Amino acid sequence: LVAVAHGCRPHRSSQQNLTFEYEVSPLPARVGDVTITIKMTDGSARPVAGAHVKLEANMSHAGMAPITAEANEIKPGRYQTHMKLTMAGDWQVLVLLTLPGDIELDQQFEIKGVAPA
Amino acid sequence: MFQVDLKSKTRPGFDLLRLPLVGSLLKQRHARTLLQLPLFVISVVMILHGLFGPQLAPRNLATTLTWVHFRGALILVLLLAGNFFCLACPFMLVRNFARKFFRPVRNWPRVLRNKWLSIGLFVAMLFVYEWLDLWASPWWTAWLILAYFAGALVIDSIFKHATFCKYVCPIGQFNFVASTVSPLEVAVRDQDVCTACATKDCIRGEREPAAPLVVIQRGCELALFQPRKVGNIDCTFCLDCVQACPYDNVGILNRTPATELVPDVMRSGIGILSRRKDLAALAIVFAFGALLNAFAMVSPVYALEQWLAQSLGMPIEAPVLAIVFGVFLVVEPVLLIGMATWITRAWSRNRGPVLPLAIRYSYSLVPIGFGIWLAHYSFHFLTGLLTFIPVTQAAVAELGRAMLGQPQWTLVGLPVNVVQIFEVGFIVLGLLGSLLTSYLLAATDREVQRARAFIPWAALSLVIAAAALWVMSQPMEMRGLVLGSG
Repeated sequence: LVAVAHGCRPHRSSQQNLTFEYEVSPLPARVGDVTITIKMTDGSARPVAGAHVKLEANMSHAGMAPITAEANEIKPGRYQTHMKLTMAGDWQVLVLLTLPGDIELDQQFEIKGVAPA
Repeated sequence: MFQVDLKSKTRPGFDLLRLPLVGSLLKQRHARTLLQLPLFVISVVMILHGLFGPQLAPRNLATTLTWVHFRGALILVLLLAGNFFCLACPFMLVRNFARKFFRPVRNWPRVLRNKWLSIGLFVAMLFVYEWLDLWASPWWTAWLILAYFAGALVIDSIFKHATFCKYVCPIGQFNFVASTVSPLEVAVRDQDVCTACATKDCIRGEREPAAPLVVIQRGCELALFQPRKVGNIDCTFCLDCVQACPYDNVGILNRTPATELVPDVMRSGIGILSRRKDLAALAIVFAFGALLNAFAMVSPVYALEQWLAQSLGMPIEAPVLAIVFGVFLVVEPVLLIGMATWITRAWSRNRGPVLPLAIRYSYSLVPIGFGIWLAHYSFHFLTGLLTFIPVTQAAVAELGRAMLGQPQWTLVGLPVNVVQIFEVGFIVLGLLGSLLTSYLLAATDREVQRARAFIPWAALSLVIAAAALWVMSQPMEMRGLVLGSG
């Protein structure tokens, strides 16, 4: 699965042409370890390197502990992390980005229908 | 033979209103308003945060407080004390304020003076919860709270007495049924005092001596006449009767939980339980709805819904969900209760009418239903006990200054494996309550042989408890349904 989110939340960013893609593996996801890869490019399709990428995964139901992880840059513009999903169901993943120049952005995506282990 | 004596003339034992600090506080004229105000403020904050705050359920006060804390605290208070949420109900605060300007003159239509409408709303509430994934939607949760405020305001501005509480409010009906297993009830301390009472202020209200049409302190708005009131059904713990009684003869007294489900006597404001099809239906929906609501949060429900959708060629969620609801709330109860009734009649050679027997014994399912609700809601409450702290910190920080500090997202609650022990305990407790209630029903029923009436209903409670334990043992899975995705 590759989902693409164009643009950023206006109150957090002045960069309007960032392309944000994510990939979850394995898919369909099951309870346990998943690998999340994030790819970012700018308006000229150049990789956005040197960003700090932090992920926070929440269940869709309130009252559950969030899971946090930091992603490493595996090659320019590509960031990867592993998360341990603790429960079946829908997960909301919040991606907190700090781009070069201390520009802060956030993005959100879902991992729907995580199956029991 | 065991006799259930709910109306001994004087009631010895514990009386909450006689406790030094709590008692004197609750007896204050404005005690209810004092309890309602904090809940009203919290409700307003929840509505605002639900509508305008972050739309991620675990980060929003509307979803966190409603689906984790409110439900859990409500059911635990019902278990340990009584219907104190209705006492502190914020919807009634707004309604009471509005009644200073709008004095209702209409009576609730006679055809609606029963529980059928509220049962429909209760089922609709359960349905919408699953259909719109309310647990995951701060926006919809905020609108739900607003709808309750609006409903109470509009209905009680048009119709007299506590129409919304008695005939409409789904939360109220839940509380009325659940509070039958509570250890406390609002009751008369000494029946002799009531016998000698000429004014009956507990129902008529305290009147201005010089102008008898002017009510200084209202009596019971739910038509519960204290000397003939039995148990907690329809009692909102509003304490109007406590305020109105000139002899200080109404207390919040202890009693044996669930025994109020047994006597088939005329009850003030209720009538005779075995003649109340609507109340029995409410008890049945309460018990089987508990199972359905818990089942909907575990993995097998999605497999079932996917299978139904594919078998029927219906890729839309609402009709599939309607079928699941129909099976759980209509087909299953009719089959199981029908079977228990048939066995009871055949085995104990009862020749009486079928329906009153089914109605009467259906009340024995209330404790096991309560146990399942308790297990489910306390799971969310205890595993997410501290989550209101970081969510509140974050909500304050959103206003511009982190006055409560940075959100401590690591604060959660008790570990799941610990809470699961509580869950099993609550279901077993509910089962014991149902076994005791069905035994007492059989023991006080002259038309049947005790053991032969007890066994079928005990078996039914066991089946429900076993189903609940199976549901609780399944992996939890909270998600919206996407049909056709395999």
